[in-house]
Amino acid sequence: MPRNGSFAILFNTLVVMFMLAPLVIVCLVAFTPENTLSLPGWTWSLRWFRKVFEHPDFVTSFINSLWLATVSASLAVGLAVPASLAITRGNFPGRQALEGLFLSPLVIPHLVLGVALLQMFARIGATGSFVWLALAHVVVITPYAMRLLIAAMTGYDRSVEHAALSLGASRLTVFRRITLPMILPGVSGGWLLCFINSFDEVTMSIFITAPSTITLPVKMYMYATESIDPMMAAVSALIVGLTAATALLLDRIYGLDRVLVGQR
Amino acid sequence: MPFLELDALSKHYGPVKAVDDVSLSVEQGEFISLLGPSGCGKTTTLQMIAGFVDATAGRIRLQGRDITHAPANSRGLGIVFQSYALFPHMTVADNVAFGLEMQKVERAERARRVEQALALVHLDAHAGRYPRELSGGQRQRVALARAIVIRPPLLLLDEPLSNLDAKLREAMQFELRTIQQQVGTTTIMVTHDQAEAFSVSDRVVVMQSGRITQIDTPYEVYEHPASEFISRFVGKTNLLPPATDGGPQRHVRPEKLMLKPAGQGRADATIVDRFFLGSQWLYHLESPLGPMVVVQVNDGSPAHPPGTAVALDWDDAILRTLPEGGR
Ligand SMILES: Nc1ncnc2c1ncn2[C@@H]1O[C@H](COP(=O)(O)OP(=O)(O)OP(=O)(O)O)[C@@H](O)[C@H]1O
Ligand SMILES: [Mg+2]
Repeated sequence: MPRNGSFAILFNTLVVMFMLAPLVIVCLVAFTPENTLSLPGWTWSLRWFRKVFEHPDFVTSFINSLWLATVSASLAVGLAVPASLAITRGNFPGRQALEGLFLSPLVIPHLVLGVALLQMFARIGATGSFVWLALAHVVVITPYAMRLLIAAMTGYDRSVEHAALSLGASRLTVFRRITLPMILPGVSGGWLLCFINSFDEVTMSIFITAPSTITLPVKMYMYATESIDPMMAAVSALIVGLTAATALLLDRIYGLDRVLVGQR
Repeated sequence: MPFLELDALSKHYGPVKAVDDVSLSVEQGEFISLLGPSGCGKTTTLQMIAGFVDATAGRIRLQGRDITHAPANSRGLGIVFQSYALFPHMTVADNVAFGLEMQKVERAERARRVEQALALVHLDAHAGRYPRELSGGQRQRVALARAIVIRPPLLLLDEPLSNLDAKLREAMQFELRTIQQQVGTTTIMVTHDQAEAFSVSDRVVVMQSGRITQIDTPYEVYEHPASEFISRFVGKTNLLPPATDGGPQRHVRPEKLMLKPAGQGRADATIVDRFFLGSQWLYHLESPLGPMVVVQVNDGSPAHPPGTAVALDWDDAILRTLPEGGR
């Protein structure tokens, strides 16, 4: 029995269609047998998918991106958890300033960051270094984790931790057994948001990736500036498929709402 | 040697004296209530004993050992928080088992004691549930079981019944007292409800703006309050003029005044209003002595309607005067 009015249903349908339409179209285009970006007619073909795998540099850049997003998302969350704990719990001078500092990368254009880091990397000889690339990503994605974690931690009842302490738990045990499970939705949601932002980042990465560390979005961008053929659509379709599969898998194993919203 | 001793304990937040020079001796097995209006420092006192608030000055001794600055997790006290503070991601049984796990009690023994504690609070049937699947009163009892299962030398309860409805509250008060007597744990309970403090405690500690203003049995606090403030905080009271000119004002509780037919008492009065309390009638009266309140047992006879002329009578022996300097 629908609880929403017909207008609300219509509105939601339009929004979903508006968001999904480009994705659907790009996936369809990926199956075209033609040489141009066009929707497939009666005949569908896998030739553009085959072509993706004939480009080993695409595969390498995909692995680079995956690896980079995993490492930098984990580093960012590892940094954001203690930082947001200190900001929401602490009572020290400069708390606000610290929060501002952690969130500030949100307002710096990635273009500016990219140019600045390019010069810095050249000076310190970090060009082509995976570690420095990951650190640069950590800087721009940490705010996303911070926002989620601070939200998860404010309004959190400290007396639950006090109860654990009073029962004889050490501070480490309290963190491991009580605090962490209670902020887990914030942690996992923050990680996912960081991962997506890192995987997706192109503006800054264009400046600071070297051939050995090139990421998929940068690779795609460079490819697209030279030639426009449906192989880009095939790559996009592969990413969409992979994301959907991961989401389904997560949902099957943990339940997405449990991971991200904290409902059990 | 007292079991627990607070010695000139203070907690100041800048200029705010949340707790000021509080001294108290508690004997083993005693049930003590901290009673006082909101903001008088009850929670702060309890939190200093628990180790979550660091005392500005003074000492806390438990069984002769100075624990003033000992870390909270080394004190081994049982605490029931006002907000329950159950672990939301653990079942009822896991909540109760947590303290035993920290004490490294082995598994079989742990299970046995958890079951015992849950039986004590009548929750054995709910061991597998999560806190969010319980009612307020059930959560409260889980918190209690979690605190007593570790067999603490001292139990600290912060307004443990404040969120319960009247019926459940009374049942829980009775249960608290029974459990406390069965287990024999020394208990300190914070409350701002005088009826609750009276019904369960051996002694009541009255607090006011961070200081202790009276320590006595519930009966003494009610019958011989140390100040007019306490007198009015723990019940209703009537002021009678001094016996001699310039003497102290006298007080009498509403249930100790008698209503007589007009002209047969010691002062005339007119009923202004009446309230039905079930077992009692509460009358508001106007008299030459000023406004008066009288409580009469509902013995089944019809109540006096407003406007009735009556007389007030009392026995001089039950009049109280308040100590000099008491405010
Ligand atoms: N962290 C703090 N910083 C500053 N003042 C505080 C702090 N904690 C408590 N106070 C003040 O100390 C006083 C005592 O607070 P406390 O919580 O002990 O009161 P309470 O008797 O438990 O009151 P209630 O019945 O409302 O719970 C209050 O005036 C409160 O404003
Ligand atoms: Mg309080």
